[in-house]
Formats: sequence, C-alpha cells, structure tokens
Amino acid sequence: MAVNLGYRDPDGEVDLHRKTQPTSSNPPPPLKELPYAPDPSRLAPEDAINSGSDTPRRIRQKSPLGMANGAAGKGNGSLATSRDSSVARGANASISNGRKRREKDTDKEKERARSASRRRKGGKGTWKKLLWVKQSYPDNYTDEETFLDHLQRNPRLQPYEFWTLVADSTVIVQHCCSVLIFICCFVGIYQERVSPITIVSVGSLCTVLGWVIWDHWVGQEEEARAQLELHAEFAEEASTGAVNSDSSTTTAAREPINVVRDDQQQARDLAVSTGGDRDASSTSRNASSLATNSTPLTPSGTGHPTGAASFANYSYYPPYGGTSTVSPRNQQRLATAKSAMLIYCALLGLSPILRSLTKSTTSDSIWAMSSWLMFINVFFFDYGGGVGAKFPASLSTNAAIMASTVLASRLPSTTHVFSLTLFSIEVFGLFPVFRRHLRHNSWQGHLTLTCALVMGQGAGVGLIFPGAGIGAAIAGIIVSLLLTSLAMGICAWWLIGLQKYKNEIHGPWDPARPVLRRHWD
Amino acid sequence: MPYNIAMVSDFFFPQPGGVESHIYQLSTKLIDRGHKVVIITHAYAGRTGVRYLTNGLKVYHVPFFVIYRETTFPTVFSFFPIFRNIIIREQIGIVHGHGSLSSLCHEAILHARTMGLRTVFTDHSLFGFADAASILTNKLLKFTLSDVDHVICVSHTCKENTVLRASLDPLMVSVIPNAVVAENFRPLDQPSPPGDSGTVLTNGSRPSKPPQNLGPNDIITIVVISRLFYNKGTDLLIAAIPRILAEHPNVRFIIAGSGPKAIDLEQMLERNVLQDKVELLGSVRHEEVRDVMVRGHIYLHPSLTEAFGTVLVEAASCGLYVVTTRVGGIPEVLPAHMTTFAKPEEDDLVSATGKAIAALREKKVRTDRFHEQVKLMYSWTDVAQRTERVYDGVVGMLGEEEFYGSSSGGWSATRGHAGVQSFALIDRLKRYYGCGIWAGKLFCMCVIVDYLLFVFLEIRSPRSSIDIARNWPKKSVQNQNGTNGDGLQPSGRKNERVNGKAIYTLE
Repeated sequence: MAVNLGYRDPDGEVDLHRKTQPTSSNPPPPLKELPYAPDPSRLAPEDAINSGSDTPRRIRQKSPLGMANGAAGKGNGSLATSRDSSVARGANASISNGRKRREKDTDKEKERARSASRRRKGGKGTWKKLLWVKQSYPDNYTDEETFLDHLQRNPRLQPYEFWTLVADSTVIVQHCCSVLIFICCFVGIYQERVSPITIVSVGSLCTVLGWVIWDHWVGQEEEARAQLELHAEFAEEASTGAVNSDSSTTTAAREPINVVRDDQQQARDLAVSTGGDRDASSTSRNASSLATNSTPLTPSGTGHPTGAASFANYSYYPPYGGTSTVSPRNQQRLATAKSAMLIYCALLGLSPILRSLTKSTTSDSIWAMSSWLMFINVFFFDYGGGVGAKFPASLSTNAAIMASTVLASRLPSTTHVFSLTLFSIEVFGLFPVFRRHLRHNSWQGHLTLTCALVMGQGAGVGLIFPGAGIGAAIAGIIVSLLLTSLAMGICAWWLIGLQKYKNEIHGPWDPARPVLRRHWD
Repeated sequence: MPYNIAMVSDFFFPQPGGVESHIYQLSTKLIDRGHKVVIITHAYAGRTGVRYLTNGLKVYHVPFFVIYRETTFPTVFSFFPIFRNIIIREQIGIVHGHGSLSSLCHEAILHARTMGLRTVFTDHSLFGFADAASILTNKLLKFTLSDVDHVICVSHTCKENTVLRASLDPLMVSVIPNAVVAENFRPLDQPSPPGDSGTVLTNGSRPSKPPQNLGPNDIITIVVISRLFYNKGTDLLIAAIPRILAEHPNVRFIIAGSGPKAIDLEQMLERNVLQDKVELLGSVRHEEVRDVMVRGHIYLHPSLTEAFGTVLVEAASCGLYVVTTRVGGIPEVLPAHMTTFAKPEEDDLVSATGKAIAALREKKVRTDRFHEQVKLMYSWTDVAQRTERVYDGVVGMLGEEEFYGSSSGGWSATRGHAGVQSFALIDRLKRYYGCGIWAGKLFCMCVIVDYLLFVFLEIRSPRSSIDIARNWPKKSVQNQNGTNGDGLQPSGRKNERVNGKAIYTLE
C-alpha cells in the first residue's frame, strides 16, 4: 500500500523524470533506451502472459488527461495497443468511461492541451501539489504531469508460470479422483458387483501401510526438529544471560517478554507440526533439559524470573508414569491404535442405526443430497493446507462423512453400511493427511500417487457401466488420463490468460500498513 | 448574485466531527457573503424538524431510519417527496452534498438533478479499491457523480482518489481545503481578542505556560489528540512511545482521545511503567482541544490514512511543531518548516520525533510565528470564496472557458451548452449508462423511476400549493461584508468567532 509508494519531498516536488519521456503515438522505444531500471514492483497483468520475454515498460504513454498524445497527433487512442496504454489504463480507462468514449476524442484533447498550455503560460511559477500556498491556478486545475503520479497498478502481482500452475493443480486432481473412486466403490457395492469386505479390507490395508510410512516421516522430522530446537535454545540462553547480566534498566525489563513470546510461539509451532501435544512436550522437554544441563551457571536455568528457557516445562507436563517403560514414540503409536480400535468398535455399534437413519427418505433425495454434500466437500476442501494443518476444512470432511452416511442407508445389510462408512473415513479423513505428508516429503511419490489415482478413477468409472469388462477399464484409464491432462493444461492456461483483467489500484489514499518491530535488539 | 444553497449530509451537529464543522463553517461564511443557506440532515435523537442556528442558518432534520454510524438507510426514492418540498419551499438553486458515506447526500443529488437543479458534491474521505465495502461505496459514488455539476475535494490526493473512484473528468473536480478558525487555536502567549470569554479547562485551572526558551534539560511535552483507532495509527504510537521515552528522558506525553485501542495503550503504559510520563486524558471535546494542545511543544500524528488532517493545522496554529506520518493528503497540508515527516514505520517515527526534539532544543524552529502563518494560509472566508467560484461556474455565471479552461463549441456529454451539464433526461441517461454493463442499466432504471416520481409529485402536490418560506432578515453589516467580499476584515472575523461559540452552546 502506501508504505511502498515513493514519498513526496516535503515541498511537494516529485521526480518527474519518468513522466517527461518524449511521448508519441509511434510504437514504444525499446527497453534499452530507458534511463532507469524497470521496477519489478510495478508489474502489469500483461507481464503474466509474456513473462521473461521482455520486461515491462514504464513510460507514461498517455497523460491521465490525454494531453500529450492529443498534442502529438491524432489517432492516439486507436493506435495505442493494450500494452502501450498499460500504465495509463487504470486511470485513463476509468476516467474516460462510457460517457467520454462517445465523444470526439481528438478534438477535445487538443482543446485541453491548448488550455493547459495557456494556463501554464498564464500562471506565475509552476503549480505545486500543496494546499497551504496560494497559487495562481484555478482550483480545478489538473497538473498533467503530477496528476495520479503515485498510482500503482498491481504492485504485488506474481506472474504465474504454466508448469508451476500445472504442478499445483495436482492437489485438486488428487482430491477429485479420490472422491470419484469413493463414488465408484459405492456404486460397485450398491450394484453388488464388489464385495464391501474386499473394498474395506483393501482400504484398511492401504491405510495401515500409509500410517507406517507417515510414522516414519514424523520420526525423521522430529529428530531434525529436536536438533534445531537444541541450537535455538542454546542461542537464546546465551542472549538472555548476557542481557540479564548487563541488567540495563529498560532493556532488561523488555527482553524477557519477547523471549517468552518466542518460546510460546516455538512451542505452539512444535505442537502443531508434530501433530500431538505429547510429542511436542517430549521434544521440548528434552531440548530444554539439555540446555539447562549444559549451562547450569546462567540464572535462567531455574531462577529466571519469567522462566524463559524452561517455559515449555511448565506448560506441557508429560503424562505420569509414561516415561519409564515406553518411549514417547511408542506411546503415540499405542494411542493411535487405541483410537483406531475405538472408532472401529463405535462404527460397528452404530452401523445398524446409520443404516436405518435415512431409510425412510426416497432414493432421489438421497442421490441429490449426497451429490450436494460431495460438491461441498470438493469446493471447501483445504487444498493449500500444509503438513502442519491440524483440523483442515472440517466442513469439507463432515460433508463427505455425511454423504457416505446418507448413501449407506441404500445398502442392504449392516456389514455393507459398516464397510462403506469405515471406507469413507479412510478416504476423506485419513487419506488427505497422508497426501499432504507425501507431497511434503517426496515429490516423485506425489506425482506417482496422482497418476495412480487418475488411473484408478478412470478404471473405476469404466467399470461401473453395466456389463463392462477389462476393456472398459482400460478405455476409462486412457480417457481419464487424457481428459485430466487436458483439463489441467487448459485451466492453467486460462488462469494465466485471465490475469490481464486484473487491475488492482493502489495509491497514497490507501491506509498505510504500519511497520512495527516485534524484537528490540 | 446571491444563491440559495442547500447543504445536504447525514453528518451534522449535534454529532461532532470534521465534516460537520466543515458544513457549519462553510455555511456561515456563505451567509456572510450574502447567500442563503439551509442544511438538510437526518433527525438526531431529540432533534427533529426545523432548527435555526446563528445567523439565520436553518437546519432541516428529516426523520429517517439510521442504520450505521449516523448514516441513513439508502432507499433511493423515499427521500424525494420531502426533499422536493424543502427545495421548493426554500427556493433552492444549488444542492451541495457532503460526505461519500452519506446516502442522504447521494439521494439528494439524484433528485436535485431530476428537479433541474445544480449540484455540487464535496468529498471528505479517502477510499481504497480493494475491499468489498469500498467497491460498493465506489459504485454508488459513480452512480451519483455520473450526473453532478462539480465536485470539491479537500486535498489533491483526495481529488486523485475521487477521480479514480467515480470516473470523473479531472477538470470538474476542484480542490478546496478545509480551514481552521485560527482565533480558536491561539498559542498561549497570544493575547485573547476582546469579547472572548477566555479559555477554561475542564478542571477549571489555567494551563501552565510552557517555557519558550527550551534548555537542553527542560521538559518537552508531546501532544497526541486522536481517536484511538487502528487507522489513526495507534499501534505505531504504542510501539513508539516507550522507545521515545527511553531515548529522551526529559520528554512527557499527553494523549487525548478514546477508542478501541485505548486498552492496548494502557497496557503498554503499565507494562513499561510509564504512568508518570504519559498522561491520558480520555476523550476531549472539540472546544477543549486548544487547551490541551497549548500544554505541549510537539504534536505527534501517527495516522495511517488522512484526506486532509485538520488537526495538524489546528496544532500548528497553536504553535506546536508537528511530527506526522507521510500518508494521504498530509504532505500537502503544512509547509516543511512546521513539520517533520516520517514513514508509517515505528523506527522512522521514533527517529523523526528525535529530530523534532533536537530541532526544538537547538531553537531551529520558530514556533512562535506559526499562528500568524497558519492564519494566512487557511481561513473559512477563503474557503467560502473559492466555493462561491464553483457555484458561479456550475450555474454558468463564469462561462465555460473561464471555469473549465476549455471552450468546446460543440455538444459534449460531460458538459452541456453553457459550460454546465444538460438536464435533458436523455442526456442524463447517457451519462448513467456508462457506469457499467449491468450497473449502467440499473442506474438508468433508477433515474427513469425517479423522473416518473417527480412527474407524479408535480401532479399530486403542485408547486403552487407549497408555501414559500420567508428569508431570515439580514443585518446591514453583513450585507456590506458580503458585497465587499474580500476575505479578512476584522468584522468578518468577529462574526466567525461568535459563530464558533454559538455552535458550542448548541451542542
């Protein structure tokens, strides 16, 4: 916003260098002739389309009043291509909206140019953008050189690149494919072509496999984090100790607050990223105890007034008795197994209820409702969520589970219902977590999974047609691969093409963003 | 030629604020210049109907449903019958709306054009283009200002903003700044003019006079008067105060104003134990602002957005050196020798305040001359004079060449034949149609309905059945002033002060 804008000098003089470029209706001069480096912060949306090929020009081709061009010659507006008028378009296009467009542009602009020159000659001294000076110009005088000088269009535009967009869209493809696979599985069960036991067994097997891999990754991450934490603690220990021993009146009073805040922040990060409080506590406990052991002489070990270093100890107590026999990792595994068993048993008990819950609703309503719920799931899914997201897009997950619940009422037996619901939990609850971690840890794995999902979805869609065999599955795979890649390419290209309509206007009228320093050093 | 002017805005006394006092001061000055001014606003609590303020300034409080922050519910048409009645009753020729958030003002401009009156709009605020509220307001503004004769902005930044928001021809936007009643903002050593009741603090004690010759160890007091909101930069202030006080031990703060950020400020004071160095006054009334200001040496203004910043002029008029963020229209307001500018960053604000303190200690700044200088820069008489020129232009007194600086011989959609906009319905529709693909058609429909409503009203309650209000009898002295019409005569100034007092008693 206005923070990034060039600030005017106190007397209102602005750098007119840029604006006094000779303007003409001819094609713009090549970039090399520009006496200044193009400012990357002032990109126009057109740069998104041909980024890299040439850098943006930033000459005021048209003054906001259209004076320069009008004076230079006729045919100004028509000759100016979209790129030429890119700078002035934000101002110019909106100023000369419908009502002005219908006028005879050239005549009017000539008149204006004349009037401007008349005024410039008539007035004593140059016009200044100041209010406290009494100027000889009329109040509605518009200085063609400084007017809208600080207008910025799309200052923080990030030009998209095609392949990056395509790569990012794989996340959406993955989710849509998994939803489709779920629907195919339901259709298979509903038509009694696939045994629900088979599906849920395969699903559970995959889930267990995924969990093992996930557990491995979490272990790796934890180790790395513990190492990092250790270093950070050491550094902080040193700095706090130093400041405390200095004990200058004001800085010492401030310092601990920050440190505590840091620590809190770190602890929170830790808790979020490792996915469980217990892990966080164990690592930070290890780290802090190591830190205190290694620097026993500093006052912060125990006697620090705010407990800067040992903060984590106070807030996260490890569960009693847990530390002696089982390592924290195993504890966590045990807990996971326990909750898995709990969900399993609860589902087993709930299945008869779930089966009869919406049984009285007609099938048409069920199909419509489940379709809507699946759409909600797809549209509200948290595609941007990283590894650390704890409960991402609960609306999306809930919608999917509800969709499977209403679908389950169409199934003939309790076993069917149990299988479908368990499968839906695996697909919509656990699989996204795994996908996120996979994308974070291995890009190849992510791509492979995407391909596998697309193929699986194609095969599934091919197979659910009545009387379909292996041929239909292969055809489905080919069609889905083709369609998916085509859709990804077209969507990416389309999004890049849409960027030229982006017109974000910033200027000195925007509320400034205050820059505050959180850390005093 | 005296005009009959109606000022329309949702914002007027008893609510305090910048727009309100602008309307009041401008109206009184215009009355002094021989015009007739009425003010149309919505009803405030316990204030409905017609009221008279000093000098025969008539205020119509129209009962209306208020939705948010004293803004009426936008109904587009429901205001028309009573508006037409007032306009005919008062024989209004020019409708002057204030404030882009006031729906009353927008409706009045629309109806006034339908009735064939000249319209002027004054914009007092800056808007962004990003958030949803701004987009909506901007579209509404575009609608109203598609068919307005002239627009007045309070600063050049505000003009750029308004031109972009409403897609206006920049030549039909004038920049006329706000002003201050310099007599109400005198420095302490300035002798109060006769007839003044004197400055009385809330607690009844006279403010102690700050020493003029500041030694290196004398206490320097920094005054902050602002509502404690996010966009007033209170976060910056909270971050900067402890650092300024740590760097300069002989500095004290006086902070006046209230708002949601007051709690943060108090927390900061308690955390850093600065209660003895920072005095919090809470909210002060506008007439007490001067008494707070004269207790200090530096005025600190950390605002994040500001169209004009009247308070800066008031502070300078009180003889305070101004430290301010360089945002919005602020850089245009005061000359460089009265201000130190800072970026809206904590570090820069601290260093700018440090520079200002150093400059005061080294006696580089002649703050004692500020009052006289500010008095020459800004006066409401000047504002009224310049506004009068706008009125001259819109009614065609000045001529197109003189007013707009161009003589388009042919027909133009933006400006009609006589240098003013044409009233023909088809021309108006053309102007509204350009507002957008869908919005243009919608606006055209609104205008057509408005016109039909006008025709219906003309038949239903014909003009002949509406009484004409008698004008307030004018004193001969004021008529002289009005005919002289050149700024700062002593008698004019006296009126100004008396008027200023009068409105406070009304509050």
